[in-house]
Amino acid sequence: MAAERSPGAAVAATKTVNKSKARTGTGTKIGASLGISASEPSIAEALSIASFALLSMTSSVAIAAQRDSVAENPIGRDTQFAAVITTDEAVTSDTDETDPAEIDAALLYYLEQDRVTVAEGIFNLKLPVGDKRVYEGKLVLDTLTGSSANGAVPQDERQTFTRPSGNGEYNIDSGNTPLDDTFKDTRVQLSGNWAEIWSPDWSSNHGLYLSREYDYTSMGINSALERSFNKSNTQLSLGMAYYYDLVDPVGGRPVAMSKMVFRDDFDSQTEFRTEFDKTRQIASTDKQTVDLSVGLTQIINRYMLVQLSYNLSSLKGYMTDPYKVLSLVDASGTSEAYLYESRPDERLKQSFYLFSKYALSTGVTDLAYRYSHDDWGVSSHTFETRYRYNFTSTFFGQLHLRYYRQEAASFYRAFLNSGEELPEFASADYRIGNMNAYTLGIKIGHSLVDGTKASYRLEYYQQDPYSNGEQATGQLAHHELYPSIKAIIFQLGLSF
Amino acid sequence: MSEELSLAATSWGHLASFNAMASRCEVLIRTADRAQAYIMANQVLQETRRIEQKYSRFNNSSSLSKLNATAGAWQNIDAETSALLGFSKQCFDLSDGMFDITAGPILTLWTFGPDANVPTSASIGRALKNVGFDKLSIEASRLHLPRGMSLDFGGIAKEYACDRAASLLTLDYPHIPALVNLGGDIACASMVDKPWQVGIEDPSELDNATRTISLIGGGLATSGHTRRYLLDEGKRYGHILNLNTGYPVERAPLSVTVMAANCLVAGMLSTIAMLKGANAQAFMASQDVDFHICR
Amino acid sequence: MIFGTELIRSLAFLVCFSLTACAGLGVEPWQRDQFAREDMALDSEKLDLTLDDHIYFSKEGTSGGRALAGGGCGCN
Repeated sequence: MAAERSPGAAVAATKTVNKSKARTGTGTKIGASLGISASEPSIAEALSIASFALLSMTSSVAIAAQRDSVAENPIGRDTQFAAVITTDEAVTSDTDETDPAEIDAALLYYLEQDRVTVAEGIFNLKLPVGDKRVYEGKLVLDTLTGSSANGAVPQDERQTFTRPSGNGEYNIDSGNTPLDDTFKDTRVQLSGNWAEIWSPDWSSNHGLYLSREYDYTSMGINSALERSFNKSNTQLSLGMAYYYDLVDPVGGRPVAMSKMVFRDDFDSQTEFRTEFDKTRQIASTDKQTVDLSVGLTQIINRYMLVQLSYNLSSLKGYMTDPYKVLSLVDASGTSEAYLYESRPDERLKQSFYLFSKYALSTGVTDLAYRYSHDDWGVSSHTFETRYRYNFTSTFFGQLHLRYYRQEAASFYRAFLNSGEELPEFASADYRIGNMNAYTLGIKIGHSLVDGTKASYRLEYYQQDPYSNGEQATGQLAHHELYPSIKAIIFQLGLSF
Repeated sequence: MSEELSLAATSWGHLASFNAMASRCEVLIRTADRAQAYIMANQVLQETRRIEQKYSRFNNSSSLSKLNATAGAWQNIDAETSALLGFSKQCFDLSDGMFDITAGPILTLWTFGPDANVPTSASIGRALKNVGFDKLSIEASRLHLPRGMSLDFGGIAKEYACDRAASLLTLDYPHIPALVNLGGDIACASMVDKPWQVGIEDPSELDNATRTISLIGGGLATSGHTRRYLLDEGKRYGHILNLNTGYPVERAPLSVTVMAANCLVAGMLSTIAMLKGANAQAFMASQDVDFHICR
Repeated sequence: MIFGTELIRSLAFLVCFSLTACAGLGVEPWQRDQFAREDMALDSEKLDLTLDDHIYFSKEGTSGGRALAGGGCGCN
């Protein structure tokens, strides 16, 4: 790059030469930062001092000239400056190395006011093998205690319900939303996943799933194939999953729309049992789910990516909630009977999901929208956002907001009127009724000295069901048919 | 020897040239005495070769290779290596960790070429674990290089050789002006009355010296996409890595040429300027040295 | 006819345009520093998302969407 061209041209000497030489010889450590103020020595000056220290220290070094050998492999071949690289022979050496295993664990408490409490522990092990393969195993344990709405409406009178097993009863005071306090359940879930990168363009994911609780077993397999295009800026994925669930409700499955029977109406336990059993189908039943999904991930620019996905889910089998009933009320709004609910045995769900994530200099923010619709008539809009602020490299805070709005299934009924013909399908489960739900959460996380990451999350979740226009007859007019559900979620997370 | 070193008489003295450190090297000597010029040029060649052989990471028998091969244990180091480590430490501190002679693992991940593989973020994360000058323990005459790490003086050895050679010439022949050019790293030996004219290549027009710089002392160095980094019709080109993230620096200039007290300072300033990316100009402007940035 | 041809042409143009627009989106491989950040990983809060999905699955009438809906359980 250099050559002497024509001597004797105009002088444009460098100014620093003399100034810097005056400062030779001190090896003082200068911890200069890159933001230079006028008072501290510039980086140029600090480097001058350091370089003269180096050159003067080594001037006494004997020159051990090695006259006979020619260096075939010079230094500085691919690094003119350590930071400049132009390797033309180096190969990517990321083939045989393996990342250490990662363990994530979390403990979550979900506490509903006056209703259920869920404690859930989750343990995830990620085991990379080489650079192209990752095995993952997950164990989830949860226990649920407390009461759930059984679907009946509040009454002026005290109400009595037969427990799902047929053994015993529970009473609900006047004016209260009927809650079934029978619920105690423990669930174990195991899942395993194998992800493999086959080539820079192709990767796949295969998983197995098993969830077991007292009255319900779910088994599933899933597979997804992902293809990268456009310098890996675009990823297209195609996935499918199949689940086979076995449902074996406590006390058997209620006969759809059958009336709840009461011990008090019978002289003997045997007579009651005979009648109760007529409302029950003992054999377990099943449900099958086939999910298909197509997803697109696109990197927009250096700071932003978007994801689009479409999911189609087809369910067949028993989808009725065996523990839910509907109140059959007369013209005065008084319960005449409780009917076990009934839902169709087919359901086709579709959802469209849009997600975007942005890198900010101080954190990350994301935004998600989901539209879901199914042939039961349930549809929903979900908006969700997170904003993470990194206070330091090891400490962050995060805000989480979620809004959910749902429209009821076509067979959703808060109660049934005795004057009308009984519908084929009906459910008073507020979870498939009209509702708005809000989540507000905060989270903080920090890294400990040994690299462990800890996080704490606190969220408030409120569901506000609302009427789908049913006329609240008689006494129902002064009862709260659509009570709000308020819950607090606390989560402790650890990553090793 | 003489085959390696070619010497040509010119109107202003002698021009010696040889190949070392993967570069075309020149010594410009303002004397008409051919024997004198040969002795001086040979001194530059010998010093350059000595440093090259001592600190080559491609030569398994070099001191550096031995140090790297014995990573994980305390090792004795000589005064010169100790001084180079001291200087490297200063560079590491002054650049906020962006210039790092332990960067080898991350540098080798990035290859640019027709079938280059872009490293995965996992492999980058892994490589970064074995990078970090602050992980070294350095004492006056011994060094502890943690297992998995390695040193690479590639970022300063050529500048160091250039300054060393120039200072030897100044010491031995103070009255004969000379200029040492090791593949673009330049240092002046002895003071000159008539300045040296140095051409600066514009990286986008490789064969035209677009600008000349006059040099009467000190050193000059260029960082960036210079000639030897543009091979295969421009398909292979260098990038400046940000060692904090393991990814290339955004909007780095094509090249930064700096004139400073000596070649080591010029080289380091131009490297730091490249690492500053879009802020290269502002950084150099604050350093009170002459510079030229090509974008 | 003319109208039809024009329509096809403009449709073809639109398709080409959107394809190239897509191909033009994105970054060079060495510009992925931001996406390499831990907090930018798509699974950076995997457990939170799993737990949230489970809560909402058992409390709301619609679920999934993010990826393949997780497996079933008796909570719904």
